[in-house]
Amino acid sequence: MAALSVFDKALEPVYHQEREVKYGLVDWLTTVDHKKIGVLYGVAGLFYLLVGGLEALLFRIQIAKPDQNIFVGDTFNGLVTMHATTMVFMAVMPLIAAFSNYFVPLMIGARDVAFPRMNAFSWWTFCFGSILLNSSLIFAEFPAAGWTGYAPLTTKAMSPSAGIDFWWAGLTMLAISSMVAGVNFVVTILNMRAPGMTLMRVPVLVWMMMVIQFLLAFSFPPVAVGLILLSFDRTFGTVFYEYTMGGDPHLWQHLFWVFGHPEVYVLILPSMGIVSEILPVFARRPLFGQHAVIFSGIFIGFVGFGVWGHHMFTAGMGPIADAVFASTTAIIAIPTGVKIFNWLGTLWGAKMTYPTPMIFALSFIPLFTIGGLSGIMHANAPLDLQQHDSYFVVAHFHYVLVGGALMGLFAGFYFYMPKVTGKLMNEALGKVHFWLFAIGLNLTFWPMHDLGNRGMPRRIYTYPADAGWNFDNLLATSGVFLMAAGTLVFVYNILTSLKNGKAAGRDPWDACTLEWLADSPPKAHNFDFTPIVFSERPLWDHKHTADMAIPVPAAAEEIHMPSYSWKPMWVSGGIVLILVGLLLLHTIPFSWLISVAGGLSIIGSLYAWVTEPV
Amino acid sequence: MSAQLAATDPHEVADAAGHDHGDHGHHAVVENNFMGLPNIKLAMWAFLGSECMFFGSLIGTYFFYHGKALAGPLPQDVFSIGITSISTFLLLMSSLTMALAVDAMKQRNPATARNFLVITALLGATFVGFQVYEFSHFVHLGLKLSTSLFGSTFYVMTGFHGGHVTVGVIWLSMLALLIHKGKLNPAKLPINVEVAGLYWHFVDIVWIVIFTFVYLLEFIQ
Amino acid sequence: MANVAQPRSQSSVPEGVAGALPASNRSAVRRLWPALTLLAWIAVAALCGCSNEPAPRDTHNAISESGDISSFFYQMLLWLDVAIGAIVIAAWGYALVRFKRATGDDTLPAQNHGDAKLELIWTAIPTVIVIAITVPMLVGVFRLAKRPDQNQQTIEIDVTGKQWWWEFQYKSGTANGLHTANEVHVQAGTAVVMNMTSSDVIHAWWVPRLTGKRDATPGRSYPLYFSAREPGIYDGQCAELCGASHALMGTKLFVHPPAKEVEVEYNGAKVKLDSYETWVKEQLAPAAAPAGADMERGAKLFKDKTCPTCHIVKGLEGAESASPSMTTGPNLTHVGSRMTIAANTLPNTADNLAKWILDPQAVKPGAKMTKIAMTPDEAKAIAAFLTSLK
Repeated sequence: MAALSVFDKALEPVYHQEREVKYGLVDWLTTVDHKKIGVLYGVAGLFYLLVGGLEALLFRIQIAKPDQNIFVGDTFNGLVTMHATTMVFMAVMPLIAAFSNYFVPLMIGARDVAFPRMNAFSWWTFCFGSILLNSSLIFAEFPAAGWTGYAPLTTKAMSPSAGIDFWWAGLTMLAISSMVAGVNFVVTILNMRAPGMTLMRVPVLVWMMMVIQFLLAFSFPPVAVGLILLSFDRTFGTVFYEYTMGGDPHLWQHLFWVFGHPEVYVLILPSMGIVSEILPVFARRPLFGQHAVIFSGIFIGFVGFGVWGHHMFTAGMGPIADAVFASTTAIIAIPTGVKIFNWLGTLWGAKMTYPTPMIFALSFIPLFTIGGLSGIMHANAPLDLQQHDSYFVVAHFHYVLVGGALMGLFAGFYFYMPKVTGKLMNEALGKVHFWLFAIGLNLTFWPMHDLGNRGMPRRIYTYPADAGWNFDNLLATSGVFLMAAGTLVFVYNILTSLKNGKAAGRDPWDACTLEWLADSPPKAHNFDFTPIVFSERPLWDHKHTADMAIPVPAAAEEIHMPSYSWKPMWVSGGIVLILVGLLLLHTIPFSWLISVAGGLSIIGSLYAWVTEPV
Repeated sequence: MSAQLAATDPHEVADAAGHDHGDHGHHAVVENNFMGLPNIKLAMWAFLGSECMFFGSLIGTYFFYHGKALAGPLPQDVFSIGITSISTFLLLMSSLTMALAVDAMKQRNPATARNFLVITALLGATFVGFQVYEFSHFVHLGLKLSTSLFGSTFYVMTGFHGGHVTVGVIWLSMLALLIHKGKLNPAKLPINVEVAGLYWHFVDIVWIVIFTFVYLLEFIQ
Repeated sequence: MANVAQPRSQSSVPEGVAGALPASNRSAVRRLWPALTLLAWIAVAALCGCSNEPAPRDTHNAISESGDISSFFYQMLLWLDVAIGAIVIAAWGYALVRFKRATGDDTLPAQNHGDAKLELIWTAIPTVIVIAITVPMLVGVFRLAKRPDQNQQTIEIDVTGKQWWWEFQYKSGTANGLHTANEVHVQAGTAVVMNMTSSDVIHAWWVPRLTGKRDATPGRSYPLYFSAREPGIYDGQCAELCGASHALMGTKLFVHPPAKEVEVEYNGAKVKLDSYETWVKEQLAPAAAPAGADMERGAKLFKDKTCPTCHIVKGLEGAESASPSMTTGPNLTHVGSRMTIAANTLPNTADNLAKWILDPQAVKPGAKMTKIAMTPDEAKAIAAFLTSLK
């Protein structure tokens, strides 16, 4: 049994750094520190969470009652499109990136990611891409073809507005960002683990992060191709999606869903990982069947590539394709069930306490189960013909993504914020947030099952009063206000805790893994010494098992820390120039010169990148 | 469980992970290398996996639309196996010179490596030149991006491959220049050249696939 | 699996944890929160059930065998889901109450890492369940894809989705050549083959009480098979986002009795339904000649205002062919016999028609019908003429 105070005795490492550290704004613009980039992702993700939520609130007001005329036609469709695009690509994914950036290196005992400047490049590409996408509202109007952007609705003939151009350009940048981050984190997790951390000792959250990085790296290219084909159709007159020229709208659907389904697991697996980290801490015992939880996550990742056709049961692929995709989809239920049972196994016989992170993590189990069980219905192709594109599906994926992914991320926020800020978040406000949000989400999404059964299609901006959908829609809209209120309480909680929160200390939750060995907030170099790992729960065993104390070296380590760099932002800026040149191609003469300038600036920046000393 | 608990000696644990961490406390960065691959090489493999999906989607699109063009010219009308064979041969030769560059660098012979890199880049540039000629010739024959599904799929697929070759040419030229100026850390030169080689061979292999399945198959039926 | 470390760990007081948990932890509300959560769900679930709104588009009150197949799987999986959900949530709720750490209890629970036998069981059971539900599902997939027997009498209809209305062209039997829009009529008990396609973007034809939806994809044609049982009138809608007026792309299915007319209930009112053959005969007839001066004025205005560019009225001279295609706009030969206009958007009255003709985009955002300059009086005259086309 060793106390954590032994870590206080470790000597500060000796730094080798090429350039003096910058402070203030320049530091945030040029940082290559995974923790600062994590914070940037987190702030951006929270901002877009509010934006996406506001969009949802607006269109839910429109359909709170029948025959309303507040947001009509493509205005409504634009809100729907941007709500989904924002929530998937600009809220949940950056929040996941925030956790993976901040905590993956800490959890594996590393000083940074494998390629710190590439990491900064991912961030800036995401940042510029999301701004580009949202600037559609200023320069044109919101894209209005749904986040799924089904061709040929997205073609120039059917959607002449430039909104779709901003959509493909922005998404292309987000795709580049994710693919690069995927490669970076695969290498980080495989290669940068602390000594003794075998693959089976890697924390579950990090494992889930590794699975999703593979999914990002391998599933984004197909949709990138789909978007490239779309951009060529709209910009250079190719005919990929022109049915009058023989083009087949199914092409886009295949390319989109080959990406789209793994993407769903990208959104949910990190939250499963967060829950798998939090439950053992507050249950005060190891995760039940940790290896089974890890392997089921890997299995979900693999099978996730072979189920995309279940989004196309109504498209007319033929009974054989339907049968195959329906069967592979049903298989996903098995590893998912294994995870849920193992979480219950963790709780069984535990001695639990219920602070806010635990409440959110616990609520994940039944909420995600509800979403999973309705998913079993969708896997049934004949039944899906009724439920597809109805509110039943809307209920399903919101239980999975809000009840599952978002509740998991909230749990992660309450759990990990003390490490990031050094301050505990307010428990009372946390509870208020939980209750407002949990009741709100059930009030919003539960009635949607009923709406789907009553035959209400999704994405309609108005409906007749006699269709039997009035009561459920009113319930659903009222729930959104509760969720919005809860989210505002959450944001207030973050801000007030930053100022007034109680000091967290190194290890406020009596946790198990290496990130709690670092200071709160961690120093720039994360750990004063490289920790050695003896088990799946290195810190827990340090505290509870006499002969497994993590040794603190007597001498100071000599470390090399990467220096700040402007180059990642320059390269991202070059990509923006290329895309802006393409967007203006038919509006401003010679705007292709902007693209050429962008390409040249990328080459120049890369030369500077490889030659600058780090 | 018991095995994990038994392994309490740090050196023993480190050995179990396949590393010598006898002096763990003084390492700048601990690399727990997966399968003995350095970071940059592992990253390149992961990136190439991603690229496989990218070109898989592009080539898949070509075959999804194969034979569905509603207007000519059709592949048989424009393809010239003779000319494309020459450019394919040049690209294949560039893989050879690339391999020689990697080998020279492994022998710690930067000057030779630089020369082979320049030759490789020149061969690649020649290939791109052939492609530019091919495209302009096809346009002259009436096949444009917007002519038919064949035009769209062919130009976009081969164009993106040509783009990758161009990126490779820039990369290799930059590498040769940096070696020439001695601007890169000599210790890291072999791995840098090797990783560039991985990329170059991949781009080459993609072309072999395209040449076989897009060009040659057209004349087998 | 026993943990070697456990005995040593029993008495340890972890540092930090006490500070993290505020005193409010022990309040009554905190002990009750799992129960409260359950109550919240039950309340919301009950609220949905409480709504005694009628459900005229209930997907589980099917009027065809293919609709029954979907409903059968819904019932089957609903009970399975309720059972699994109840077990999981009950176990979860029980654990939250039962395995709460008692105040002052600083001992650790058993530190077991898992149980191979248990894990095998809860992998095996879902596997068996998955196989058990997949086999009947596969049967269902192929049953729904089965084309009706060739020898049997079928009604074959080419369906084309358009922004934002439906075009129906009958291809077989007595109705061959019949051409109508938005409201489709079939005969109870007769197999129907609908070939779905589109001429602009992807739409999906969905009448929830009939059967599942089917995409209408431009450049592709894919069949939907059904045989409706009960005479009646059923509402439906486009289910695939298709642009600005996606929400206003409705459709109506009329299931006619095979022989003599029957009275059916629709939206609380009694409506008479002719036999299918009677309806076909009426629809195949050319439009009645304009009767009286008002009607003639309406017909003339109809032509003067260039309506026949897109809409044909069979039997009306100068309005029998449209360009660029015969189906740019709905066929209006018997528009007066339809229950609704603008794709199930407005009841078919002369006033509504006039409103629609005068400013289509005000009724349906982005509507493709050209807004043609005319006075309200002229619009009324055209509407009166169209209403007379029974």
